[in-house]
Amino acid sequence: MSPKNKKKEPGFKFIKASGGIEEYCLSSNGLRVLTLEEHSAPVTTFMVTYHVGSRNEAIGHTGATHLLEHLMFKGSKKFNKEKNTAIWSELQNIGAQINATTWNDRTNYFEVVPSEHLERAIAIEADRMRNAFLKDEDRQPEMTVVRNEFERGENSPFDVLDKNIWATAYQAHPYHHSTIGWRSDIENVSTKRLQEFYNTYYWPNNATATVIGDFEKKRTLALIKKYFGVHGRSQHTIPKMYTEEPAQEGPRRIMIKRVGQTGIVGIGYKTPEGLNQDTYALQALGKILTEGKSSRLYKRIVDPGLATSLFMYDFPFKDCGMFISYVFLTPETDHNSVEEIVLEEYRQIIKEGIKQKELDRAKAQIKANVAFSRDGSYAVASALNEALAIGDWTFYSTFMDHIIKVSRKDIQRVAEKYLIEDQNTTGWFIPQN
Amino acid sequence: MRNYFSKKIVVDEPQKGLSTFVLPTGVKEVITFAGSLPCGTLYSPRKNSEISSLAAGMLDKGTKNKDKYEVSDILESVGAEINFFNTAHHVQFTGYCLKNDLPTVLCLLGEQLRTPLFLEKELSTLKKRLVGNLERSKEDTKKQAMIGLLRKLYPPHHPNYALTTDEKIELVSSVRTKEIKTFHKNTYQLGGFNFSAAGDVSPDTINKLLKEQFSRWKKGPDIPYRLDLKARPIKGKKRRIPIPDKQSIDMYLGQAIGINRRHKDYYPLKMAIYVLGGNFSARLMQTIRDEAGLTYGIGASLSGTGFGSDGYWSTWATFAPDLLEKGKRATRNQIKEWYNNGITEKELKEKKTTIMGAYKVGLDSTGGLAARILSNAQQREKIEHLDKYPEIIKNISLDKVNKTIKKYIKPKQLTFVAAGTFDD
Repeated sequence: MSPKNKKKEPGFKFIKASGGIEEYCLSSNGLRVLTLEEHSAPVTTFMVTYHVGSRNEAIGHTGATHLLEHLMFKGSKKFNKEKNTAIWSELQNIGAQINATTWNDRTNYFEVVPSEHLERAIAIEADRMRNAFLKDEDRQPEMTVVRNEFERGENSPFDVLDKNIWATAYQAHPYHHSTIGWRSDIENVSTKRLQEFYNTYYWPNNATATVIGDFEKKRTLALIKKYFGVHGRSQHTIPKMYTEEPAQEGPRRIMIKRVGQTGIVGIGYKTPEGLNQDTYALQALGKILTEGKSSRLYKRIVDPGLATSLFMYDFPFKDCGMFISYVFLTPETDHNSVEEIVLEEYRQIIKEGIKQKELDRAKAQIKANVAFSRDGSYAVASALNEALAIGDWTFYSTFMDHIIKVSRKDIQRVAEKYLIEDQNTTGWFIPQN
Repeated sequence: MRNYFSKKIVVDEPQKGLSTFVLPTGVKEVITFAGSLPCGTLYSPRKNSEISSLAAGMLDKGTKNKDKYEVSDILESVGAEINFFNTAHHVQFTGYCLKNDLPTVLCLLGEQLRTPLFLEKELSTLKKRLVGNLERSKEDTKKQAMIGLLRKLYPPHHPNYALTTDEKIELVSSVRTKEIKTFHKNTYQLGGFNFSAAGDVSPDTINKLLKEQFSRWKKGPDIPYRLDLKARPIKGKKRRIPIPDKQSIDMYLGQAIGINRRHKDYYPLKMAIYVLGGNFSARLMQTIRDEAGLTYGIGASLSGTGFGSDGYWSTWATFAPDLLEKGKRATRNQIKEWYNNGITEKELKEKKTTIMGAYKVGLDSTGGLAARILSNAQQREKIEHLDKYPEIIKNISLDKVNKTIKKYIKPKQLTFVAAGTFDD
């Protein structure tokens, strides 16, 4: 069979392939499907990613995407407690790992199942795509569950600081609020609003199904067609989020004072949309600054005992992001001195660039990370989920090709372009006795 | 799937006192490994149980031939990692690397274990960082509640006992370089050294590389830890640990059960507790979270039963301060119902399928496999035990499960510990 024929699947249109992953589109309703067969373990991951996240929320219903995700487990037409086919028990009783997560740009539902049970996972996800109950009597108890999730987050000084840095850096763009939402919105959003949200975004033409692991493609695509093919595409255009963040004119600073034991310093800089070509150099820069004991900030801050630990993140998002470093101080260390060291290191990279050895090390670390992102069907699905969220799943399969091309000049250039002190947002957690 | 581990894992002893367990899988390029030596907290001198922990923490701070920067450079230049940590019984390490870098990484691991450089200055910095972490853990409601529970259930020096955070800080601060050097000299040796690896790996390569590293290491006496302490007598106790400015309270209800994992009642009791609170579809999550909406997380587990220790069972949950009493009452009611009426045939059947399916799903990645194989070896179980596990679960009877609930659970004598900011 020629490779071209191999990709002909009844009812599906082949879109493209990259890194062994194939993309299809279910012709009847626009559902995208990604497949990667890998038979080393008798396990398959099935995941549905909806292209909706907390960036699609506004004042009054922040946290709605996440609350809706919780309600999606309360039952659908075919899978519910009344029929003794509740989603959790249907899947956990066969040993599946099952969960869902919500973030800025996407909501995903996944099942890691013994291969022979893949059909059950497909049937459940297809049913709740359009037939979820979303009852008011379910929202009330689930609201307090989610509120406790919020409260648990509030217990952590780091979570609180991170949330506040984003809220300060982003003022117009919905990345301003965290995915969990504001407490009063969690408590007051109506079931009707959640249903509207569901009816706006939960459609096959706004979703991607991913199948990774031990399955047979032809049969699996037929099952996807059988179960998801019953839904039509949405009659409306999926709304676009159009709010842009205005330029930041000057540094911003916040302080959180609470009872606590040790301080934290966080310094964030706005970065471009995930699919921007500068993302690759920024990812390597992050490694050079904080990954491992040879990294610049570790040597300057953790090594001499000024901090217990540090890390940075710069998650590629759909719209824009943040290059944030966090330092967890040892008891006698003052915030100012650590902040100054971080800024000094940034200035030095802007002025003098980096050594080739540092770049080589960063690339080796990323190469290993990429290899491990293929260790297991769930690892692959999870990485693809984030690439889908930013708008192009081949971001995952081609990531290393782009990283290899990053040069020392690129690193210095992106440091100069994005690590602008006049446009940073700094947050301190100051423990109170 | 039958005899998956027995058929696939290659067991060897490249050096007396060093056992290897290697599982080649279908994954490409990557290797995950784990290992341990019996020199954890319980092997520390009685006067300072933190010596073993500091010794483990110093292993990445340089060797006789390489300073700490050279060590980190070797690993990071190939994107590999080796992490050392201390448990009650072992110093453990976990690591990963790409296939071609295995010789470099294992050579370094050998040096780190055999000839660590215990520099005074490095110890001083490590202590400062550990104290910082311990200070921060005073804000951790879950950790503080767990420490509170274990102190109520067990006497000092029992493997399941926990020091207070302040006690730990004091001990960490007083450790001296000389004590670490002596501890290393006396306990880091062959004998009970287990090494597991999974992924794109050849058993011959692993054995050859480890033999090169440890052939000159001396073999110490193979003395398993002997437990001469038991849990405190069962008495329902209560303790509240106030931590200001917290919006959620962590709560434990627990009780020592007097048996270890080799006891014939272990698996039936484990199954009983799994039905109560082992996963989302278990009773506690279904009633306290899904129906009543009182918490984001609640569960029950059986712990501290390894290496001959008499373990404990506990229920853990988080509640908003104004829901704590209601949540606690609801949890106790569920425990009471479970105790009075036992579990049902349907529940047992469902959980058996769950556990057997989860066993398969656990084969998905190399990280989980290396850890599972190491844990089995540490407990001195044969590889066949990993394959027998589904059979053991399959053979558990309803009658036995319900009898173990009556035999070991004392609902009126559960110890209650909660940490957070209380309404009253």
